[in-house]
Amino acid sequence: MAMAQSPLDTDIQEGFICPVCYKDYRSSSNLFSHFVELHSEEQDLLKSIKDLVGKAKKRILKIDEKDLELFKNELSLQEFHWDYIEPQEPGVSRKHTDFFKIVRRERLDHRTSETNRLIIRLDKLLHINGSDRKQQEQELVTWLDGTAVSRCPSCAATFNITRRQHHCRLCGSVMCNLCSCFLSCDVAKMIVTNVYTDRDNSSSKVEDNIRLCTHCMNMLESRNQVQMIQGNQPLICQLYDRLQKTKIDLQESINLYEKMCNSLMSSEDTFHLKDAQSLRASIAQQAEVLDIISKQIMSISSEDNQPKLSLLKNAIRQATTRYIKEYLLVLPNPAELDKMRKNRTIKHLQAVELPKPVSLKKIAVTTGWSPENLAVQQSVTDTPNDPLEEQIKIVQNYIEQARSANRYEEVVSLEENLKFLKEAYRMNQIHSDINV
Amino acid sequence: MNVIGAVKAYITKMIDESDPGMKVLLMDKETTSIISMVYSQSEIQQKEVFLLERIDLGGTNNSGSNSGLRYLKCLVFLRPTPQNIDLLSKELRNPRYGFYYIYFSNIVAKADVKILAENDEQEVVKEVQELYMDYLAVNPHLFSFGLFNCMNNWKSSTLQKTVQGLASVLLSLKKSPMIRYQANSEVCHELAQKIDGFISNESDLFKFGQASQPLLLILDRRCDPVTPLLNQWTYQAMVHELLGINNNRVNLSKVKGISKELAEIVLSAEQDSFYAINIYLNFGEIGQNIKKLMEQFQEKAKSHQKVESIADMKAFVETYPQFKKLSGNVFKHVTVVGELSSMVSEYELLDVSEIEQEITSQSDHSSHLQSVRRLLNPTSQKKIRDLDAVKLVMLYALHYRNHASNDVRGLIKMLKKRNVSEYLISSIDAVLRYAGRYAHTNEIFNVVEAVKITKRLFKGLSGVDNVYTQHKPVLNEILDEIAKGRLREDLYPRLNGFTSQQINPRSQDVIVFFIGGVTYEESLSVHVFNKNNPGMRVILGGTTIHNSKSFLEEVNETIRANV
Repeated sequence: MAMAQSPLDTDIQEGFICPVCYKDYRSSSNLFSHFVELHSEEQDLLKSIKDLVGKAKKRILKIDEKDLELFKNELSLQEFHWDYIEPQEPGVSRKHTDFFKIVRRERLDHRTSETNRLIIRLDKLLHINGSDRKQQEQELVTWLDGTAVSRCPSCAATFNITRRQHHCRLCGSVMCNLCSCFLSCDVAKMIVTNVYTDRDNSSSKVEDNIRLCTHCMNMLESRNQVQMIQGNQPLICQLYDRLQKTKIDLQESINLYEKMCNSLMSSEDTFHLKDAQSLRASIAQQAEVLDIISKQIMSISSEDNQPKLSLLKNAIRQATTRYIKEYLLVLPNPAELDKMRKNRTIKHLQAVELPKPVSLKKIAVTTGWSPENLAVQQSVTDTPNDPLEEQIKIVQNYIEQARSANRYEEVVSLEENLKFLKEAYRMNQIHSDINV
Repeated sequence: MNVIGAVKAYITKMIDESDPGMKVLLMDKETTSIISMVYSQSEIQQKEVFLLERIDLGGTNNSGSNSGLRYLKCLVFLRPTPQNIDLLSKELRNPRYGFYYIYFSNIVAKADVKILAENDEQEVVKEVQELYMDYLAVNPHLFSFGLFNCMNNWKSSTLQKTVQGLASVLLSLKKSPMIRYQANSEVCHELAQKIDGFISNESDLFKFGQASQPLLLILDRRCDPVTPLLNQWTYQAMVHELLGINNNRVNLSKVKGISKELAEIVLSAEQDSFYAINIYLNFGEIGQNIKKLMEQFQEKAKSHQKVESIADMKAFVETYPQFKKLSGNVFKHVTVVGELSSMVSEYELLDVSEIEQEITSQSDHSSHLQSVRRLLNPTSQKKIRDLDAVKLVMLYALHYRNHASNDVRGLIKMLKKRNVSEYLISSIDAVLRYAGRYAHTNEIFNVVEAVKITKRLFKGLSGVDNVYTQHKPVLNEILDEIAKGRLREDLYPRLNGFTSQQINPRSQDVIVFFIGGVTYEESLSVHVFNKNNPGMRVILGGTTIHNSKSFLEEVNETIRANV
């Protein structure tokens, strides 16, 4: 029995009905032959027509459930947005650092030893004085025998009367005047004194310049640059370091503040509202400091040959402002929190008489702050100082110190202390009253 | 298994390894796209990376060492190509920055590392590593390589890039899979062999302790040429089809009256929560959600106008940044959805799409021919785009090419009367040839038909039936078969190296790769499949992500290249 609801008419038909043209054929063999004749393109259907009959039977029996299921299926597929995706750890990576460094070391050793030799020679050269300058120079570095050299090695110009051979003072090679580089003695001294700090500048008047070939000059130049980076700490670096340090301090305060807010929200009595407010004020102050530093960075002057510097400054400023906007301005306001908490406690009290939970206050005493031990002044009155009273005064003093240093967790533990002391004091008083 | 998470994890590792300090990121053209897909500029600034530079643009800075930025640390992230090695060597000889941490997106030859070491005269390099992110992570389960017209240069460059890219996907997800490929496609076989070769060459990288055997299935676009031709109705797919998404960027400059800041917008689910929720919803639902968003926005705007007391001002200042962010977002989406809906009405896409879906899901030749004729008629009220007209003829031709009374010639004549361009008309033939040799085309339409007929039979009972989402890509069938462990060996054989193992182990992790491109509709199917089968996880990738225009180009190129 095949059952179908045609889209055209709404009443239910029963019988052997062709699924395509919805005509009744009274028997299964008729239906089959009709189908083969007229709907031959749907060859596969022939195989599945039996399935259809079976499905239809099932359908009749379970019509409502399937309906609902299909519908629900469609609906649940509507929930297409993200849900929680587990964090992914980074995949494989491979290091070539060691191989790199080995190759580099081989290559650089050669260069550094050569450069060091040059530096030593340079230092000795600077101490040559006297009329036999050239003689001394030749004693230090053997000058290449120029008789075999007919052309300059760097520019290939022939040597003649007008173009004379010259020698590099550091390596002895031959070049013409145009290809020589000159290193002023002052600069040479600077290079040298970075390495040897104990020689004094007792060289007397020498010629202003030392003649070098381009190769030696390059070696010295690149060494010079390496020295330069290590010494140079431009203004922007210092400012940036300060910026980062402030950020780190700020982060600690933020963590503490969030803890406070959470505990206020859940109606615990650990922290005081006014403590939260003063912490927020100090956070705001530190945020201002961040702002000021980043503005200072912006105002660093940059010369024309440093186009990237202004991009850098802008980027730093942008990042800082965004940080302030997104992390700091969205911190919850303690006054609001307190209002919420009060509303909630009122509701609670109205609902049920809550026994006050004795919460184990786990407060970590954080790094290294401790109150100073100020000598407690003798009170003006001559009443004998009860040791408990003294203790109470001392602890109160500590609490004030802790507050002003923004150490709110210490405040909490000290206040607990104070409570116990006050209890003990009261008990004491009662006893003494009774005894008296 | 989440490709966006994988790339983000690598980048975070890269940034955190070089200690605190101001940093600059040096990249090439392709790696810039890779990073921009997962990180926005503001996010990366919060991680102390303040400058983003390209190594291949304007780098000839001969005042290199004197530019005064030597206090910056440089993170270098490049593809290991010969040009990059060259440029990097030049940079190291004359370094602009203080320290260099070098990361390559794929395997780098030892010889190249040697060249770099020899050029590092000032000892500025501190790290040299390989981090395998050589692909564009589009969605958590979707990646692409951005290779257009891949068949054009298959032998020369595309094959190599595809191999490298796929290998990097495997390494970043830590999977060493069993490889199966589509039997009737030469290119699939070639790619499968190359991947296998790569894995065996770098076997020590691929040593993973795996609980179950993952599966890599390589398919050819030609097995399903129908899906890229259809018009789409879910947000991401629709925007790509009508406006075009390129590396998460949409170019809106041609829209009339567009403001300058909206000329190019970014649609990224990572940063935009409205987009993340609506990415797979269909057009009607998006409209409703936009309406809700607008109402939310209007409420906020109203509350901002009452700035009377100091307390109000304080509240305003505190919530202004979120408000600004929300408003920027709202404008962006309102513009996009507005543009989409104007295109829908202008191009009569509702009608066109209905016919498209009918042709692909049902088999009523005469009525389909009639509907196509009706829409192609130049005197009719509805003037559809040439592109849509040609696509209709293509779908008709693909479906009924073997039908006794098909009338493709007549339809082509009608197109010529409409003055449709030669290029589009020749594309019809190209598509048929593209599909012809490789696809079991008949199967595309008939395999699903038995099921469809049953569905249609009970259409009235089910109650919910969206005529615009009838079509299901062939990928759906394949995934279902994988889930049941019944993927046919004759159609999708294994490579020789794996014959010792069971053909259909319970694969929990599946990576499906389409040579020739993938579509957002298939990405939607994968997403739904993942949701319905929580024990399995499927990742989808392709040489590029197609819309109908790019697909037609690719088809034409392929036929010309005669691969």
